[in-house]
Amino acid sequence: MIGNTGRGSKRQLDFELNLTSFIDLLSTCTCFLLITAVWIQIGTLEIKQSHGTEAAAEAKDSFDLDLVFKGPTELNVNLKKHGKAVKTLALKSATNEEMLTKLNEALKTQILNPSKDKKILIGTATVTPKSGVNYGQMVSALDVLRKNKIVNIGVLTERGQ
Amino acid sequence: MRLNQSLVTANAFEKHLVNRRRKKSGGAKSIGFVLMLTSMVDMFSMLVIFLLQTFSNSPEILVLKGMELPNSITPSVVREATVLAIAKDGNLYLDQKLVGKVMDVTKQPDVLLNKLNLIKKQWTASHKTDFSGEINLQADREVESTTVSIVMAILTSSQFQAIQLAVIGK
Repeated sequence: MIGNTGRGSKRQLDFELNLTSFIDLLSTCTCFLLITAVWIQIGTLEIKQSHGTEAAAEAKDSFDLDLVFKGPTELNVNLKKHGKAVKTLALKSATNEEMLTKLNEALKTQILNPSKDKKILIGTATVTPKSGVNYGQMVSALDVLRKNKIVNIGVLTERGQ
Repeated sequence: MRLNQSLVTANAFEKHLVNRRRKKSGGAKSIGFVLMLTSMVDMFSMLVIFLLQTFSNSPEILVLKGMELPNSITPSVVREATVLAIAKDGNLYLDQKLVGKVMDVTKQPDVLLNKLNLIKKQWTASHKTDFSGEINLQADREVESTTVSIVMAILTSSQFQAIQLAVIGK
């Protein structure tokens, strides 16, 4: 009677949440997600080894980049156009981390953006490993290339094949 | 009820006796317990949110036991393909099956090439499109890079040209 005061029937403001079904739903979700959870995020670095006719068509103004390991902390960077060397940089550091930082800076300032008006497009990049350089270090170098948006990367053997 | 009344009306010593009797008699705690529903629902909700955030629908590839993959800051999504693994001990595995020592395989790659050709034939038989040449290559971070490059050259010669190097994303 109190509710009917002539202003129409009022709905009760506080509602009850059906906790049983809510907890059921949450526990089912938790179980499913725990079972399907991926704890180690495995990713991939794609390497394109195709040459000749199967290689992606190169842009006319694009350059090629060669990273040649001379040792675990020594690296030569060769910028080429139509097979001819345009620029060569020799990077040497005390540690691998330092060398990667140097490589990153060299790519940004000397290779990809040599001047304010000029930007260089890299068609393909190749990495040549050297004995004494472990796979982890090679992947770090590939990472630096990919970070600088050079994605068409191939890996050569030590003999350059 | 009587006990409660007596507790109200009794003096301090009587209260002590009643309490002691209550503790001794029965001694058993009540079997029913109150579940803290609010905190439980909070916990479940947080778990669900965390698990939903970390949920990934990319295919999983099996990693060899004891293998330490290199870290990468620019990883791409894994695509399902044959897995070739170079272990730290120098063994080479194709889809978790031992092929042989890497040094032997690099010198005489016929065993590996035959197995790769078989995979290629099976792929061609089950697909209508051209062979994609995709393969996942796992190698321990301590393995010589020259060894990995030789294995990659063998893969390329067998038309597996889209090599995906397995890494751990940061």
